[in-house]
Amino acid sequence: MDQAGKKYSAFFNFLKTPTPTLIGIYLILLLLFSLTNENFFTIQNIKGIFNNFAVFGILSAGVTIVMIGGGFDLSIGSTAGLAGIVSSVLLMKKIAVPTPWVFIIAVFIGCSVGLINGLIITKVGINPIITTLGTLAIIRGVCYFWADLNPRVYNVFVQNFGRIYLGNVFPVTTLYIIISFIILTLILKFTRFGRDIYTIGGNEQLARLAGIPVDRIKIISYVISGFFCAIGGLILISQLGSGRPEYGTGAELEVLTIVVLGGVVVGGGRGNFLGVFIALAIIQTISNGMVLLDVPVYLRMVVKGALLVLVITIDAIRNKRHLLMY
Amino acid sequence: MAESGSINDLKKKKEFKLNNTVVLFIVLIILFAVFSYVGKPFFFSKLNLIPMLNNLSFIGIVAAVLTMVMVSGEIDFSVGGNIGLTACLTAFLIDKGMPGWLVVILALFSGLVMGAFNGMIVTVIGVNSIIATIGTMFIWRGIGYTLTNGESILAINPVIDYIGRGFIFKVIPFPIILLVITFIITYLVMNHSKWGRKIYAIGSNPIASFLSGINVKKVKFINFLICGVTASLGGLILTSLTAVGMPQHGQGLELVIVSSIILGGTALGGGRGQILGTLAGVLILSILYNFLTIMNIYYFYIQIVQGAVLILVVSTYEIRQSLAKRRI
Repeated sequence: MDQAGKKYSAFFNFLKTPTPTLIGIYLILLLLFSLTNENFFTIQNIKGIFNNFAVFGILSAGVTIVMIGGGFDLSIGSTAGLAGIVSSVLLMKKIAVPTPWVFIIAVFIGCSVGLINGLIITKVGINPIITTLGTLAIIRGVCYFWADLNPRVYNVFVQNFGRIYLGNVFPVTTLYIIISFIILTLILKFTRFGRDIYTIGGNEQLARLAGIPVDRIKIISYVISGFFCAIGGLILISQLGSGRPEYGTGAELEVLTIVVLGGVVVGGGRGNFLGVFIALAIIQTISNGMVLLDVPVYLRMVVKGALLVLVITIDAIRNKRHLLMY
Repeated sequence: MAESGSINDLKKKKEFKLNNTVVLFIVLIILFAVFSYVGKPFFFSKLNLIPMLNNLSFIGIVAAVLTMVMVSGEIDFSVGGNIGLTACLTAFLIDKGMPGWLVVILALFSGLVMGAFNGMIVTVIGVNSIIATIGTMFIWRGIGYTLTNGESILAINPVIDYIGRGFIFKVIPFPIILLVITFIITYLVMNHSKWGRKIYAIGSNPIASFLSGINVKKVKFINFLICGVTASLGGLILTSLTAVGMPQHGQGLELVIVSSIILGGTALGGGRGQILGTLAGVLILSILYNFLTIMNIYYFYIQIVQGAVLILVVSTYEIRQSLAKRRI
């Protein structure tokens, strides 16, 4: 009885989260697109959708952790671009750093950007959005140090890193996303770090009073975000075969939309990775559908902005912010 | 102690005390002198200063009104996108052969609509204004791109030409007049009107303001409306200065505008800020970026400086505030 009641409530708790709604929206979208376009529900296209959401998926893994902790990271696009261009420069024939070192250096760059963000946000105490907006501009400027080198990626291992299909159907990048989401979910559910980060997002003052090392945990969350930015940058150069300073521009918009749509509350404290994963699929399906339906390129930008506004509007209404009188 | 003379003395001492704005203006004068000396033949010349002032005019106009929004505790990042869309709309309508005055009215009206949209989301629904306006920034710019199909359209029309390149009495550039008028009006509103006091009250404590009978949402909404209209005015000036409307107009401008406002002493959370401080901030940063351009520094490296300035400026105020708290 007790056990059954527990299960029952867990199921109802799941129904209370936005995830079931998201699954419903996703199924409706799939039905809609497959009815309107016969090319949508083909293996080729589905493969394409899954391979295309690699970078955004990896980036949203880190941003989800940061946002559950009540933070914000807008510098992800630039950080991915920086990690990408630096590693592609290191892979150039003239320099030819061994491949493992390229990965280590890329991850080091990503983590140090996250560390700097975290230090500024926690130790100086600036609003995270403003801080990462500043670092976004700075890092994008740094990317242009290598603008005239125009490096190409010929390294086979790096090429395969983001392009290979397992059994010719399943993209390996999706495997990375699933693995990292599962690991992060386990960390959030079963470690002290995970519980602390939910507490901090829910009420930072309370967390501080309860003796949780708020600053340290926040910094770690930004470092995690930086780590995933580095991986995202490596996937970018692997899929595109070259390093350009403008890679990753505007990724923050899309990732923010995905994460907030996935049910991570703006301001922190609530959110899970299953929702983010489905949101990722929804957003990528919409992008893909817009391509198939031949929506003009510039109109897609409007749609993306409108989606973000729509998603945060839903977030605000769900948290009853419209009832506040001030 | 209760002698009236001593109180007057105290008042006088308070008046002579160096406040933020005065320090900023001193810094401005020093910077101007240094830049004139270092960038010798080019910086201090009519060929550089007049275009610099023109460029500064629309940044200043938008910054002055955005200061009002920021003092009330909200922010509007969509001003850059607003400028881009207004530029595209203006050029598009002129290309279709509309009379200049009607285009100006329509452009300002489009700003009103954009401001109303931002205001609606932020006040009625209660979305965090930073994220909301980052979203709308992309929407405005996307509509601009869709309207012009990504191309730049020539905007040549006597009325539009006059807005950015006209001269009053053949000496004073018209955008400078607009800038001065905007600053005088916003100064009077913020420092000598009931509306301004409401804005300060809301910024420092929205709950207390609501409880004391201020319609918080209405004040914020109208601030957003005014901000939209003035950003459109900035877009008109930029279109006129470049004689072309293109969707890239005003890209990255929100970074410059917000950092100059914060440099001027406006707190991010609201409640504190001075219009004259914003003027000083706009002047300092415009001079700095103009100087970097004169010194032939690559545009993307200037972007690094812009980001660093934003973080440095905010950090300085944040650190000073925490030091002040510690002293208490």
